[in-house]
Amino acid sequence: MVACLCVLGTKAWERKGVTFSGSIQSDMLVPRHDNGTGAEKTGSFLTNTYADLLLQSQYINAGARLEFLAYPLPGFENDFKGWGVPHFWMKGNIGKAELTVGTFYEQFGSGFILRTYEERALGIDNALLGGRVVVKPIKGVTLKALSGVQRRYWEWNEALISGADAEIGLDEFFPVLRKNGTGITLGGSWVNKYEKSDEKIYLSPTYRLRLPKFVNAWDVRASFSRGPWNVMGEYAQKSDDPSFANGHIYRKGSAAMLSGSYSGKGLSVLLQAKRSENMSFKSTSVETKSIGISSAINHLPAFTQDQTYALAAFYPYATQLAEGEWAYQAEVGYNFKRKTLLGGRYGMNVKANLSYVRAIDRQFYDGDNLVQKTNGYTSKFFKWGDDTYYRSFDISLSRKLSKAFKLNLMYVNQRCNQSVVKGHGGIVHTNIFIADGKYQFSPKVTLRGELQYLRIKEDQGDWAYGLLELSLVPHWMITVSDMWNCGETNLHYYQGLVTYNVAQHRIQAGYGRTRAGLNCSGGVCRMVPAHTGWTLSYNYNF
Amino acid sequence: MLKRYTYSILALVCLLLTGCDRIAEDERLIYDPIVLEDNQNDIPEEGKPEQTKRVVLLEDFTGQRCVNCPKATDIIEQLQEVCGDAFVAVGIHGGPTAFAGNANVVGLKTDIGDEYYTHWNLEYQPVGLVNRHAPINYTEWIEAVKEELVKPATLRLKGTAVLEDNTITINIDAQGTNGTVDGKLQVWLLEDGIKALQLMPDNKPADQAYIHNHVLRTAVNGTWGEDFSIKEGETERRTMALDIEPKWNREQLSIVAFVYNDQGVQQAAKTKVEIIE
Repeated sequence: MVACLCVLGTKAWERKGVTFSGSIQSDMLVPRHDNGTGAEKTGSFLTNTYADLLLQSQYINAGARLEFLAYPLPGFENDFKGWGVPHFWMKGNIGKAELTVGTFYEQFGSGFILRTYEERALGIDNALLGGRVVVKPIKGVTLKALSGVQRRYWEWNEALISGADAEIGLDEFFPVLRKNGTGITLGGSWVNKYEKSDEKIYLSPTYRLRLPKFVNAWDVRASFSRGPWNVMGEYAQKSDDPSFANGHIYRKGSAAMLSGSYSGKGLSVLLQAKRSENMSFKSTSVETKSIGISSAINHLPAFTQDQTYALAAFYPYATQLAEGEWAYQAEVGYNFKRKTLLGGRYGMNVKANLSYVRAIDRQFYDGDNLVQKTNGYTSKFFKWGDDTYYRSFDISLSRKLSKAFKLNLMYVNQRCNQSVVKGHGGIVHTNIFIADGKYQFSPKVTLRGELQYLRIKEDQGDWAYGLLELSLVPHWMITVSDMWNCGETNLHYYQGLVTYNVAQHRIQAGYGRTRAGLNCSGGVCRMVPAHTGWTLSYNYNF
Repeated sequence: MLKRYTYSILALVCLLLTGCDRIAEDERLIYDPIVLEDNQNDIPEEGKPEQTKRVVLLEDFTGQRCVNCPKATDIIEQLQEVCGDAFVAVGIHGGPTAFAGNANVVGLKTDIGDEYYTHWNLEYQPVGLVNRHAPINYTEWIEAVKEELVKPATLRLKGTAVLEDNTITINIDAQGTNGTVDGKLQVWLLEDGIKALQLMPDNKPADQAYIHNHVLRTAVNGTWGEDFSIKEGETERRTMALDIEPKWNREQLSIVAFVYNDQGVQQAAKTKVEIIE
């Protein structure tokens, strides 16, 4: 019904030179009590439903989003619950300027000092409500200025966030660079948080903190590219910002990153290093509201692999914004050519990734003087701290063995400090073996299967996982899987899903168990409790 | 011309917003002590009973696997030192970081603790309820206690508890001092000085011999207490009994009684269990 109305509406608007488009995403769960997994029946019907609408014309675009989260899926923060139209915006193009009024997302550079974004799986939506101007006065130059308040679920935080960003592509000004195929981009940003807070933070029953009204952050960056080579560096700094996250210290925060990559014929190499400390930057000083994943003004990417295979994603890493970290990542990929000794008849791809995250050096003041305590700690830039937060090595091999059969093998070795990532659990070591095969019976029928095994001495011991996925193009996909804890509980987390695609509609129905665990994306995680029940997902784009 | 103005305004806005607000080291702390209202000696209004001070109740939702919970305990100890008997803290071991124990390690988790954790819809630990208002982070407890201490009390509450053989006999005496109070009377049993495992903050090793104080052991009169109503000037006594469990240290037991309603906790009292040999 809604879809039909949308189609009719679209056609009517198109006749007037206005394009009307949008999307609907609805994930539903009918939870059931499960004695085996301990899953609770947290309601009779839960859903996270979003409907986006977009109107586009020659000069003005406008959009809005309806969110129905009054009975949300399990694992989101309490304040996530609600419904309404939290997004509404209008964007106009005037000459070389673009003006946005309403809600918007923005990122300066790598996001060290500003990144507002939406990640529905995690319940993150830290859009700004206010205004933004983007000007491109001459080719190669982009200037941005913005100001607004940040969304925290169903309210807007009191702090006013303002900022500006400039980026210049030097190759547009120096033809010799263009001629040599060299690109140099320089950028700089500044962000200011202004908050006149009533929050009273006591260090003792006698003394409370004087909190700064303004917090400033700046960022400079440069990138160089030539042929297959690319080098990028970025440095950001933040002024004193005492908060719950940093233990109420008056100390500057900083983040420095250097990244180099090569992407030539068949070979790709990526090397990255990052040091950050005291970079938690939130748009509220109300302590109870600042806990959790909401209200973040910035984002520091994790230099670890975002694993997609179920067992490899068991022990993810979350960036330690306040504590800081030294993070390193190296990745090498190579394509062995077809009809060579190693490449075989169809070629072979090998990828390896090594991630290492370590604490930074922090020497805390150990006395009783409250003022001294507010200085926090001293830290030598290049010195490591004692703790390894995360280490991961994985290697994957992807090869087509015949015209119809493709095999992907993967080995993952992890050492994760759970006490750092989720507050308890100590250090866990994993060895994970994965085989993923896909066989195409006909152009319309494909069967994919996964076998995974996780070897671990700590936590709940070993796990095994199997999946079968039958694709019947163009409409159907049937998936069955089972995750089995063979180390301690002997529990099976089974799941069955049927997916149907037609035109712009996608419907998925299923039943199954989901284990309790961390769900992470880009170094940000949320804890999802165990749940069991019927699921239904509907997606529609128009 | 228009372009030039636009850029100038943008630059000016940037400069104005870049207000420098660095706070010098000697200006970071503001002296703002807790002042305890001693209205015990005030002359009561004509026809009114003698007024009493308000005792503030903090329900600390804690767990042995909660690394930051010892920081919350530090705050509680500071408040106890400053506020004395005007402040009562209860450590409720429930929720995901509470530990039920096993053959080798003592656990302090209780079913009632879990029930309270779920009821208040809590989502992290440590977290606390000061006089049963909205859950707040432990860094906000001092401010909340200060605010509650200055509110007028509506009733006087006093408890006595005597342990004879294995039974504690509890008497709770109440007197209405200001208007009528309708709500519930809740009585809990606490234990101090329990030596048990506790995970520690700042990547410090777990403390196997951490001393846990004011640990909620059980509710004497049901999870949510019993109906209670008192008018100004009235007095009332409630008597109840509780059989103690062998694992509890009888030397370290105390009773906490409080009256609460939709406006929060109206009054609280704590008393040590007296042992009669």
